[in-house]
Amino acid sequence: MNLSDSKKKLALAGVVCGLVAACLAFMGNPANMAFCIACFIRDTAGALGMHQAEVVQYARPEVIGLVLGAFIISVATKEYRSTAGSSTMTRFVLGMIIMIGSLVFLGCPLRMIIRMSAGDLNAWVALAGFIFGVATGVFALRRGFSLGRAHVTNKASGAVLPVLMAGILVLALCSSLLKASEAGPGSLHAPLIASLIGGLVFGAFAQKSRMCFAGSMRDIILMKNFDLFSVIVGLFVVMLAFNVATGRFVLGFNTPGIIAHSDHLWNVLGMYAVGFAAVLAGGCPLRQLILAGQGSSDSAVTVLGMFFGAALCHNFGLAASGTALNAETKEVVAGAVPLNGKVACIICILVCFAIAFTHKREEKK
Amino acid sequence: MRKKELKLVVTFHTTADAMAMEKACKENHVPGRIIPVPRSISAGCGLSWCADLSDREEIAAMMEKAGIKEEEMHECMV
Repeated sequence: MNLSDSKKKLALAGVVCGLVAACLAFMGNPANMAFCIACFIRDTAGALGMHQAEVVQYARPEVIGLVLGAFIISVATKEYRSTAGSSTMTRFVLGMIIMIGSLVFLGCPLRMIIRMSAGDLNAWVALAGFIFGVATGVFALRRGFSLGRAHVTNKASGAVLPVLMAGILVLALCSSLLKASEAGPGSLHAPLIASLIGGLVFGAFAQKSRMCFAGSMRDIILMKNFDLFSVIVGLFVVMLAFNVATGRFVLGFNTPGIIAHSDHLWNVLGMYAVGFAAVLAGGCPLRQLILAGQGSSDSAVTVLGMFFGAALCHNFGLAASGTALNAETKEVVAGAVPLNGKVACIICILVCFAIAFTHKREEKK
Repeated sequence: MRKKELKLVVTFHTTADAMAMEKACKENHVPGRIIPVPRSISAGCGLSWCADLSDREEIAAMMEKAGIKEEEMHECMV
């Protein structure tokens, strides 16, 4: 059965991915996070000791499963293609920007949709920034932006990231080398096997449907094409139903306990940077993992940039804090973006503009 | 729902090539439209140029003149 030849079937792929996210949230993943690529890469970077924020360290099997799921399904359906060579280090920097923007907002575009489905109005505000960011990227595309073409390379080269991810899984299962949070978001997780299976299923369906949050907005702006958007709608509807049914739907801004903040300007600018950088890099954080799984070394380097960016965020105090409830006084403490994070976010946006207007398609001489 | 037809689909190495194709086609009044690369021909998420099969020669000549190189030219249901 071809899962991608109509909008209805694409929406069905979104529904399956939504069910995976809902099940993982039900089984213990952090409230309103469920399945966040940026947060989970950040946690995995912490587990590897790349940063020392003790509350966000856990090798998330979802990330491993996504890459391996995309790898397995692409090999099985003959879509695996090992490619490389498209402005490698620029992509590394774009990966860093995607991560820094995400951690200023507190979530990748996938988590933005999940937060929106739980009534978090901050995420609806950030959506505006994300759309503007994608639109700016589309403007750059129209002006001839290009990172250059990728070339087919040695088949084994495209399998390196999936093998590294399998290596992290082996370490998680057979050693005590990886760090694991005892408190905070990193300590909240579904059972390892459930997370891994969830990641594999999500990765396989995301690969077949070409699910991409930046791509869906890009296609609407550029071509008024809603194919990719229908996948997102499917996921949103399932998560909305899950949140309403389980009493997790709370409409509002300053909601403690959901790892979000109401610094509106920085929610907008954080997701602006993510949307802009994702269009330049050719896909959102989720899509980068999937493309890396199906053989793109360029996307694998973008993923490494995200790991590096996550480490920077916590080593240099760039990441925002979420609104929380003071356990002793029972007062709501508003989350905020630290000054370092604000400066970094502005730099990220400026770097996006520099990349967008310095990398041009070569015209015929 | 719109009925699918057999069409000419030109894919490119980069999104920028597809954008250049759209611009060149508009300037030269060459028929067709830009669409996402059909899932049946690529696992990528890029853009492609879709036109009637009968426009193949005209499109190839215009691409040659404008210096736009295709990745492949497909015939598929769109």
